Amino acid sequence: MGLMNTSRMKSPWIIHVNCTACNGCDIEVVAALTPMFDVERFGIVNVGNPKHADVMVVTGCVNPKTARVLKNIYDQMPEPKLVLAIGACGGTGGIFAECYNVLGGPDKVIPVDAYVPGCPPRPEAIIDGAVAALGLFEAKAKAMKEKAKKAAEKAKAEA
Amino acid sequence: MEGYVLALLALATLLPAFCAAICYVIKNRAVRNFVVVVNTLVLFFITWEFVRLLMGSNGSIRINEGSLPAHLGEVIKYLDVLLLGFIGYQGLKLKKPLIVALTLAQLVPVIFFEFFMGVHEPTAAFVIDYLSVVLILLISLVGPIIAIFAIGYMEEHEHHLHLAKTKQPAFFMVIIGFLGAMNALVMTNNLSWMYFFWEVTTLCSFLLIKHDENEISITNAVRALWMNLTGGVAFIAAIIIIYQVKGTLSVEDIAVAPVAGAFTGLFPIALGLLCIAGFTKSAQFPFQSWLLGAMVAPTPVSALLHSSTMVKAGVYLVVRIAPAFIGTILGDMVAIAGAFTFMAASAVAISQSNAKRVLAYSTIANLGLIICCAGIGNYVALAAAILLIVFHGVSKGLLFLCVGTIEQGIGSRNIEDMQGVMKIMPVTTIIMVIGMISMLLPPFGVLITKWLAIEAAVSMPLVLLLIVLGSACTVVFWSKWIGTVLTMSYKPKYAIENIPTSIKAALGILILAVFVVCVGIAPMYNALIDPQLKAFHLTDKIQLIGSQGGLWLTGGSNVAIGGFAVLAVFTIILALFIAIPYYLHKGKSADLRAPYLCGENIDSDLRGAEFMGPGEKPAGTLVRNYYLTGAFGEEKLTHVLNLIAGAIIMLMLGMVIR
Amino acid sequence: MIDNLIISLIAIVGAPIIGGLLFGIDRRITARLQNRFGPPILQPFYDFFKLLGKESIAVNQIQMMYVLSHLFFAIAALLMLVLRQDLLMLMFIFAFSTISLIIGAMSVRSPYSKIGAQREIMQMLAYEPVLLLMVFGVYKVTGSFMIQSILDYPMPLIYSLPLVFFAFLYVLTIKLRKSPFDFSTSHHGHQELIKGLTTEFSGTQLALIELTHWYDLMILLGLIALFFAQPLWVGILIALGAYFLEMVIDNICARVTWPWMIKATWLIGVGTALVNIIGLYLRP
Ligand code: SF4
Repeated sequence: MGLMNTSRMKSPWIIHVNCTACNGCDIEVVAALTPMFDVERFGIVNVGNPKHADVMVVTGCVNPKTARVLKNIYDQMPEPKLVLAIGACGGTGGIFAECYNVLGGPDKVIPVDAYVPGCPPRPEAIIDGAVAALGLFEAKAKAMKEKAKKAAEKAKAEA
Repeated sequence: MEGYVLALLALATLLPAFCAAICYVIKNRAVRNFVVVVNTLVLFFITWEFVRLLMGSNGSIRINEGSLPAHLGEVIKYLDVLLLGFIGYQGLKLKKPLIVALTLAQLVPVIFFEFFMGVHEPTAAFVIDYLSVVLILLISLVGPIIAIFAIGYMEEHEHHLHLAKTKQPAFFMVIIGFLGAMNALVMTNNLSWMYFFWEVTTLCSFLLIKHDENEISITNAVRALWMNLTGGVAFIAAIIIIYQVKGTLSVEDIAVAPVAGAFTGLFPIALGLLCIAGFTKSAQFPFQSWLLGAMVAPTPVSALLHSSTMVKAGVYLVVRIAPAFIGTILGDMVAIAGAFTFMAASAVAISQSNAKRVLAYSTIANLGLIICCAGIGNYVALAAAILLIVFHGVSKGLLFLCVGTIEQGIGSRNIEDMQGVMKIMPVTTIIMVIGMISMLLPPFGVLITKWLAIEAAVSMPLVLLLIVLGSACTVVFWSKWIGTVLTMSYKPKYAIENIPTSIKAALGILILAVFVVCVGIAPMYNALIDPQLKAFHLTDKIQLIGSQGGLWLTGGSNVAIGGFAVLAVFTIILALFIAIPYYLHKGKSADLRAPYLCGENIDSDLRGAEFMGPGEKPAGTLVRNYYLTGAFGEEKLTHVLNLIAGAIIMLMLGMVIR
Repeated sequence: MIDNLIISLIAIVGAPIIGGLLFGIDRRITARLQNRFGPPILQPFYDFFKLLGKESIAVNQIQMMYVLSHLFFAIAALLMLVLRQDLLMLMFIFAFSTISLIIGAMSVRSPYSKIGAQREIMQMLAYEPVLLLMVFGVYKVTGSFMIQSILDYPMPLIYSLPLVFFAFLYVLTIKLRKSPFDFSTSHHGHQELIKGLTTEFSGTQLALIELTHWYDLMILLGLIALFFAQPLWVGILIALGAYFLEMVIDNICARVTWPWMIKATWLIGVGTALVNIIGLYLRP
């Protein structure tokens, strides 16, 4: 478990999903990926493909149209995976929360593991949030294994 | 002994002719099918007997003129005239002056030559050596299988056409008769007889291409006819010249290494003309268009023309006379012409999306490679040429049959339409893919011969460059196609294919043959091809040895300078292909994910063929292969390539005239 | 026999370790060139093990088979190299490895991976002639297709084949899918067509593709070393130098389009190789 877990902690590939954000948070997320902050130090790479990603960085609130897309992308990420919601919008819907078409934060659609508050949060805060969330990988992997075990048992019982 | 051989010989040529006649006269389907099957089995038996007899002999089976029925020569002479008369009549009927003119251009010399010049027929009328047996193997194994395939296919084909009266009797007559003529062609030692059988195959192919009798098939059949008649004119001219110079028509005596200083005068021109005859029959650039047009005919015809008969007659002739021009300027030019065709056809094939056209261009390319190898003419090259005749025949026959089956299944021969065909016709698709892989990848034969060809072409940089560029192009069109047909979704519900037994049997036997020739490459080489090369009396330092389940090139002192263990790689691949699907069968459907489409998947669609478009409506995606029509487009290139190829052939003749 | 077995084992185990380390160094140096600190040297291994531990998801169940044959044939090519077999056949086997990946990428209906596969085919169209010409140049000099004979040849090949070597370096950039030729798929931070060829491979499959990539790197560097095979350590140093050059090129070039690449490669790659080979013919 040790090697696997270390590897997971040291190589979180991210996918950035803009989900009805005002673009303020996105600019900060992209800023965090610049050489200035050099997140590759922590093995973080922006992959842009859910099938390769470990961490979803989601900005903005959710409306009915983006909810479908967000769910789809989340489902396409292989376990173990983390979701990091950025900004005030990412937490509660922020200043858009009361709009007629806004459902709220991303946690209305998918399970969110960590929140980085701010409107928008600074890049340092985003990086801090990501690194802090990595600690959850171990538990996630365990849960994944148990789930697989249960599924196997169930299949056996059925057969 | 002699009598037995004679009987076999008669069986090999006359039995198909006889069966053909039965097919035509008795118009009963069951009888016809029975005759086709019996013909197949007897041909298999004959092939086996020939191989056995040859192994027991000292290098060749010979039948002298004297032991043949008297007046056979006379009969063939008259048949010759009759045949040309019939072709001329066809030309008149279709009102094609070109055909009539070309027929006359042959008829006059033939009559003059055969009846007024008092020709001595060579004493050995038939000489069956290893090369002949290799060709007989190909003709009598692959050919009848295609005939069997045709039983099921033609039923379906005529069903589609809603014919009032079936035309199958004539069809099977020509197909089976064709095999007899081919068998005779590769066995005879008499050049003028060979010419007769040559013209028979021309006529047969004309009749087969014309079979559907619609406008386009007649146009294409006429084109095939006139192009091949051009070759016939070259052939008869060559015969007359050779007889003048050498005083013999024995192929054996003609195809010997030139004595120093003997390669002058008219003789080289005659050889050049024979090569041109071979080029027309093998559809080399600039004569390629007849073979491309030939695919309007029903699939078994294309399969037959492309794999075991017709085009192989052309390369057979060139390989047969190769010893006479090895190492001369003529040999070099033949190599360049062949290599040019290989490159040109492979390049044009990239731009084709019609499956049959891709196959046709690939055939032309491979024939070009065979001719190129014959032109290079060293030990390794000739080995490659003969091996490629076999491998190409088997694989291409299989591929045409597969494409024909798939075409009947999905109603299209466009490669783009074959996406997902795996689901509709899984078995045929897998067989087809194996066929394609056998044309492209190690350890299958075609690649091995390409490898040999490159290793042989070291003495000629231009030829080498053409082969190298051409082989890069072949990778492109094959891998595009393989990738397209193998497209599939997760655990799809496979359809159960409903194909006639005869088609199943034909595909099954041919795929087996593909594997057998691949695994058995070393024994086959040792038993059949190496002795033939020895008989050619080549004086190269570099030799090819079949051992340890592979082929090895050796230099002067038995040190391997190149080689490949076919069997070893084959084992890995087989293990991979058998073990992995089994292992992966355990895959759970819970692991299923649709392809990534930017989050805009349609929930119910696990294939990923559609995006969610504006207004929450599905919008289809269309992904096509690259065809590079800008660079390799057929219309664009054909004229230029034909011009260059024509120039090479002119140059070839011009250089030997000196 | 036993010798060969041991050599093979060392190659199979050792090659990916060295290859992975080189990729780690590559990422570190790239970072330094961009004025960053960069990931740890062991980063490729972290990535690899992480990918192995991911949930195995797939678009169809056959995908894995293509990945495995991609890997196995790369290993087979490596073995042919270390066992000093036929160079030309090595190239064909190596090509088989790439074709497996292409077919795997085309076996799913994702437009991104299909276009990536098409571009990869175009890459093959561009570099195959150069690789085959290189083999031919080697034959012309040593009189044999066996790699053994290159090692036995008294002089380094570079003296006779300088331009072929240049053409090979050019092709190396394409083969490693580095900028300016990273259009079928791209590396770490970069994105092209989502991830092009590898878009639909994930978890273990992606890990194995990465592993194959390490093998590929070692085969290519091995081929470079052959040009300087006397003594071998010089060859190895030069190979490393060539790889460093690739890194620099990767960092200073913008991506080109594939039609441009085909034209340029056939012109420059095939052209220079050919000039060299014709020179060999003219040489007494
Ligand atoms: S949190 Fe603020 S900056 Fe971020 S998306 Fe919402 S409104 Fe824009």
